[in-house]
Amino acid sequence: MAKTQEPFFVGWGKVPKDLRLFLICCAVGLVVGFAAMAYATASTQEDTGAGAFMGQTRATGVLQVEPYPILHVISSPHFEKGDTILLSGNGKRGAIDQAKDHDGKIVQIRGFRLDRGGLQGVQLRNGQRGLRPTENQETSMQIPVESLGRWKLSGEICDGKCLGGAMRPGTGLAHRACANLCLLGDVAPVFVSSGPIDGSEFLLLSNEDGQAVTQDILDYTAILVGAEGEVERHGDMLVFKISPETIKVAQ
Amino acid sequence: MSVKYVPVQWNKNKWGYDAVLVALVVAYILIFIRLGTPAAELARPLDYAILRMRAFGTCAFWMLTIILCIGPLARLDKRFLPVLYNRRHFGVLTTVVAFTHAMYVLGWYFSFSPQSQWLALLSSATGFGQFLGFPIEILGVSALFILAVLSATSHDFWLSFLSAPVWKTLHLLIYAAYVLVVGHVALGYFQDGANLTFATLFALGALTVSGLHLAAWFKERKVDETIIDWVKACRPEDIPDKRAAIVTLSKDERVAIFRSGKSFSAVSNACAHQGGPLGEGKIVYGCVTCPWHGFSYKARNGRSPAPFTEMIPTYNMKLEEGVLYIDRKANQPGTDVEPIIYEVAEDG
Amino acid sequence: MIFTWYIYAGMAVAAVFLLFGLGRLDENAQGAWVFRPLLIPGVLLIWPLVIWRCVILWRGEEKLDRHRMPRRRQERVAVVFACAIPIIIFAAMFVRQDPAALPPPIQLEAAK
Repeated sequence: MAKTQEPFFVGWGKVPKDLRLFLICCAVGLVVGFAAMAYATASTQEDTGAGAFMGQTRATGVLQVEPYPILHVISSPHFEKGDTILLSGNGKRGAIDQAKDHDGKIVQIRGFRLDRGGLQGVQLRNGQRGLRPTENQETSMQIPVESLGRWKLSGEICDGKCLGGAMRPGTGLAHRACANLCLLGDVAPVFVSSGPIDGSEFLLLSNEDGQAVTQDILDYTAILVGAEGEVERHGDMLVFKISPETIKVAQ
Repeated sequence: MSVKYVPVQWNKNKWGYDAVLVALVVAYILIFIRLGTPAAELARPLDYAILRMRAFGTCAFWMLTIILCIGPLARLDKRFLPVLYNRRHFGVLTTVVAFTHAMYVLGWYFSFSPQSQWLALLSSATGFGQFLGFPIEILGVSALFILAVLSATSHDFWLSFLSAPVWKTLHLLIYAAYVLVVGHVALGYFQDGANLTFATLFALGALTVSGLHLAAWFKERKVDETIIDWVKACRPEDIPDKRAAIVTLSKDERVAIFRSGKSFSAVSNACAHQGGPLGEGKIVYGCVTCPWHGFSYKARNGRSPAPFTEMIPTYNMKLEEGVLYIDRKANQPGTDVEPIIYEVAEDG
Repeated sequence: MIFTWYIYAGMAVAAVFLLFGLGRLDENAQGAWVFRPLLIPGVLLIWPLVIWRCVILWRGEEKLDRHRMPRRRQERVAVVFACAIPIIIFAAMFVRQDPAALPPPIQLEAAK
């Protein structure tokens, strides 16, 4: 049987002496433990890469609407001639509404620059202020399209806007729902490959016909997958014409 | 102890308890954001909102983990009972922290889209059929809903109104909430990144909760044994003065035999308040006093001293050949039973 | 949508219950008003349960069971719970993906 002398705590009464020390130790231990846990968890957070909003910018270039709106730059204070940049709208929206009537035309864009070294984008201002065709439609610039053959790639499917630096981090499972929401808003999906193909590890995704592929990839965003498809170079941008039925979760 | 209900019956111990809780949360959040994050090797700062959803989310997880450890710890070592005393405030504060986490998620991941935040949450949830990539937000929202229900029904009024068994059954949902939270983290943040520090701490925390529950269950199992009409209890001298022996009648029914000097009385082991183990309590100021929240009853009739009105069932007993037997059939709560008188020879 | 209507219904129940029903069903609540706003969130969330309890208390059908704790149920739930946690954790560890272990890009066919 238990000892009668065991200290007995009554909530509304005084804390017995023997217990007081024990409880103070518990309280201090708990606070110190929480502090240590906070430090350990916070100080081991991982770097999310170089991508970020880089301030306002403008550019003139040739607009390509499919699979998702991209611009082949002719002139800009921030981009080189020949750069290809992903266009997105305000918030979790793609640029398709602003771009759809101007495929192949020379347009002038204004907005906020997103740059992740190897992946460049612009978040357009709303309406005409963000994207409008220029009066002079003559250009000597040709958009070269070149096939790089059929590839089996491994990596992560992300939304091009958050990945480009609109969110830090804009990858991983914790961010998955946000990525899906962006894709549903017609933001361009981007495949982050485990290794570079022809010098680039970021590839714009399209279906096998070179059109938007959003609905077929929603279940596979933010996890590591393997997939097959043809890779094409459009100007400075690689397009991965993914075959949805070949997408498999890695390992 | 309710004469008339008040929002919170404050006392010095509760103030102290709550001060520690607030210190926990403030220390955690401040250190996470102000000390820990600057020490991480980040080329550019994380999003303001993402940093906060991490801080509040992990904090809520640790709080819930500690809360779930308290129960089994108190069963394994009685010194932890005072930590159980004001556990409901711990729970309510955890709900607030978890809610803050959810608000940052809604205000960041589910904002800036043409849809409303909640609609956005539902429309972006894909992959219900898969393990990896399961929509963890649904798990998190479900857990938060449970926490909200439990917090909202934590006032003593609900115990009395719903009755302790119904209330307890409702509050068993905390287990479901924790499983949901573990799934929410295990299929979310746990999977991200190559650094395993958080993943390891998280797994250890959750497995500790699991291990403590198994250990407490194992200990309890040894106590429970089955029986007949008059249940043989124990010898009077086995019960220390002012304390009790606990006898198991069935899985759901236990009796506490209290000794006060030479008189012996049997009452239900379940306190009318939250079902606390009265038999692990003590006779204080002539009343059986619950080890959980200090509710008191007179041993011979199971009634709380005036002005309180709580009542618990009593049991008839008999003494044969120096052994106490308990009548399996409980009396109505508050029934007066003449105590058994037995002169215990002073030992040692 | 459904949730919004559920809460509206809860508001109606809360109004009736807190203003009229409470004092009759629970003598400790008679004349105690300060704590009542604290009950509103609870009623909003579990009002069907509130109605069910009101009916039981109203008819005086409360039994001795009130003092029988669902210990057996709690024990079972706790054991299932204690087993579910490691299953989830180990399954999550098992499926955890390592970016470093991904195969490099493989060219299947050369460009035509």
